[in-house]
Amino acid sequence: MTNGLKADKSKCTGCQLCGLICSVKHVGKFNPSQSRIDAMDVFPEPGEYSLNFCIQCDEHPCVEACPAEAIKLDEGLGIYVVDKDLCTACGSCVEACPHSGIWLDPTGSIAMKCDLCGGTPECVAVCPKGVLKR
Amino acid sequence: MPEGRTEEVIDMADGYQGKILRVDLTNEKITTEPLNRDWAKQFIGGKGLGARYLFEELKPGIDPLSPDNILSVWTGPLVGTMTPLTGRYVIVTKSPLTGTFLDSYAGGFFGSELKYTGIDGLIIKGKAKKPSYLWINDGKTEIRDAKNLWGKDTYRTEELIRKESGEPKARVSCIGPAGEKLGLISSVTSDLTRNAARGGTGAVFGSKNLKAIAVRGTLGVAVKDSESFAEMAKEMIRKDVVENPDHAGMITDGTPILVDLSNDAGLLPTKHWRTGTFDGVKGINSDALKQRVLVRKKACFDCAIACGSYAKVNTGLFKGAATEGPEYETLGMCGSNCGIHNIEAVVKFVEDCDRLGLDSISSGNVVGMAMDLYEKGVLTKKDTGGLDLKFGNEEAYSKMPRMIANREGLGNILAEGAKRAAKKIGKGAEDSVMEVKGMEYPAYDPRGSFGMALAYATSDRGACHLRAWPIAADAYGSGDPFTPEGKAAICVEDQTRTSVKWSFIFCDFYSVNFANMAKYYSAATGIESSEEHLRKVGRRIWNLTRSFNVREGFARKDDSLPKRMEKEPLPEGKPKGKAVSRADFEKMLSEYYSLWGWDQDGKPTKKTLVDAGLGDITKKLPYLK
Repeated sequence: MTNGLKADKSKCTGCQLCGLICSVKHVGKFNPSQSRIDAMDVFPEPGEYSLNFCIQCDEHPCVEACPAEAIKLDEGLGIYVVDKDLCTACGSCVEACPHSGIWLDPTGSIAMKCDLCGGTPECVAVCPKGVLKR
Repeated sequence: MPEGRTEEVIDMADGYQGKILRVDLTNEKITTEPLNRDWAKQFIGGKGLGARYLFEELKPGIDPLSPDNILSVWTGPLVGTMTPLTGRYVIVTKSPLTGTFLDSYAGGFFGSELKYTGIDGLIIKGKAKKPSYLWINDGKTEIRDAKNLWGKDTYRTEELIRKESGEPKARVSCIGPAGEKLGLISSVTSDLTRNAARGGTGAVFGSKNLKAIAVRGTLGVAVKDSESFAEMAKEMIRKDVVENPDHAGMITDGTPILVDLSNDAGLLPTKHWRTGTFDGVKGINSDALKQRVLVRKKACFDCAIACGSYAKVNTGLFKGAATEGPEYETLGMCGSNCGIHNIEAVVKFVEDCDRLGLDSISSGNVVGMAMDLYEKGVLTKKDTGGLDLKFGNEEAYSKMPRMIANREGLGNILAEGAKRAAKKIGKGAEDSVMEVKGMEYPAYDPRGSFGMALAYATSDRGACHLRAWPIAADAYGSGDPFTPEGKAAICVEDQTRTSVKWSFIFCDFYSVNFANMAKYYSAATGIESSEEHLRKVGRRIWNLTRSFNVREGFARKDDSLPKRMEKEPLPEGKPKGKAVSRADFEKMLSEYYSLWGWDQDGKPTKKTLVDAGLGDITKKLPYLK
């Protein structure tokens, strides 16, 4: 098992509260485009929600792809996180990730992925439908 | 195509973006300007702010479908923040259906996305030379060619705009064929199934050659202290939304839970208000929805309730039809009111309304009326194009949205709304029409809750259930539904509260009190607020929209009661034998005007306006001179 977030997508109702709280905790404003979790309604077909975030996979191809060695292991949490001082926002990690779990900030200044809020993910706490789990 | 670029968006950090966008379609001119901060303080946002700009800028007496009309779209200071159930927007204009002030709201995701482009609202004037749509992407706005979109339904329009813009997350608010053909019961549809539906918003878009407003916003919004605001909101989402007993039924069922309640109270409009008790209720109630067509629950942006139901038909004539909903109003108006026994047929009808851009309340009303007139022999197969349009005939019924939207045959008459259609049909049809100021009655029969007659009569946009809802305290509660006593006070209280609620813009389904609204408002903006303060704002806004309508010539004579509510007692159920007498109605109305501080013709007095903080508009009201 990985140490990342887990989701039961069948329970998701697409309210995007996860992205809202994620953005405010990470960038200080309400802006789902700057969140580390991405929920989107896909209707009428297939009539479900896409829910993307870093699952902290064992293979972590993003780490290998990063030319700046900016994605580093946080030993305490056992997950890989982006070091904002080292990231050059080149996008190599985005291309390398097969899970759509990492993307660039809309300003193009940094790669963003879930850091579990340092251990207590805010999205898990706020989700009203119990979709997300640590 | 012209382009306008705003300056760098400045983080105002008080919930407002501090900017509005102006689009002159005639001259293809796009500008931005600072938000009028004085008005924002006096009228908040949404309904109030939109009404203030419209009152100031719209010439009285203009044709709502002419280039002179103003089409504006607004958010509010809490939209896009984590304040529960505020992911909404409002279209404010002069209604082509009623000639009154019009504010029509939709949930979904368009409202927050619009705000994230860096503006609080936009004001559109004039008329484009050819079919066009607006593309707003962060600080950049363009008027784009909509040649390839014209004639397309709302689903396809969203799909094509996302493809063309290369933005799969763009949000689209658009019209279907109904609005293009200037149907007066046409809606504006966003996120496929969310409609700013009432009052003919779609026709206003159509009259301006405007197919859609599409937005993609990545700028976000900040409040005074966003992190502590989020903590407060998180707690409120749990305590005041999820655990609030007022919301229990909305979470488990959504509004369809009201179908049985209304039927038990004997006030569920059935067969065009012939009765209030429906023998087929089990086929269209919440259980039918859950057991027969529900796929999954669906929320709007920032909503922990998720009242929406994504529904799909699995068998029969309408197999494959899918929609979000149908919600209570639609189940009443397009279900029982048309004598429809099967929710599958309603799902199909509503999918068509959404795709074609039709108000489902008004559509159900006019189709029910046509069925009524057909059964009475006023309309014949010659009028219906051969359709056997009797109550409950699902096949004939299912053809109606398309005929109305495309203005085919009888649909061309019904597209004008119930009042105009009845006049055109003649032969006594006018006696059966159910409307106020031209807007079709929604799904609560006032003979089973007398206060609703006053609520519909005095709503600022014609017969509407979302300005006052006295039924909560009587037919749905413990009060006496069959007395005029106390109803005026309830309407005044509700209209004061909803004026504030629709200005922030909260969803109807958040049972939020004044104190909590003040709490969110203060925390977001830093403006000192309280229940007393917001009540004053509510009185100001309701007096403003009333003044708008008075300026357009509306008065007591227009705050009307459909003849049948007075003359035809309900035949069965709890309200058996009940009708709203003329004396009871006039008594409620007189009391209502007194409580508001209006004269007995329904016009706000100068003192009332000055007390409400509207002294500056009195000089624009000729009757006060």
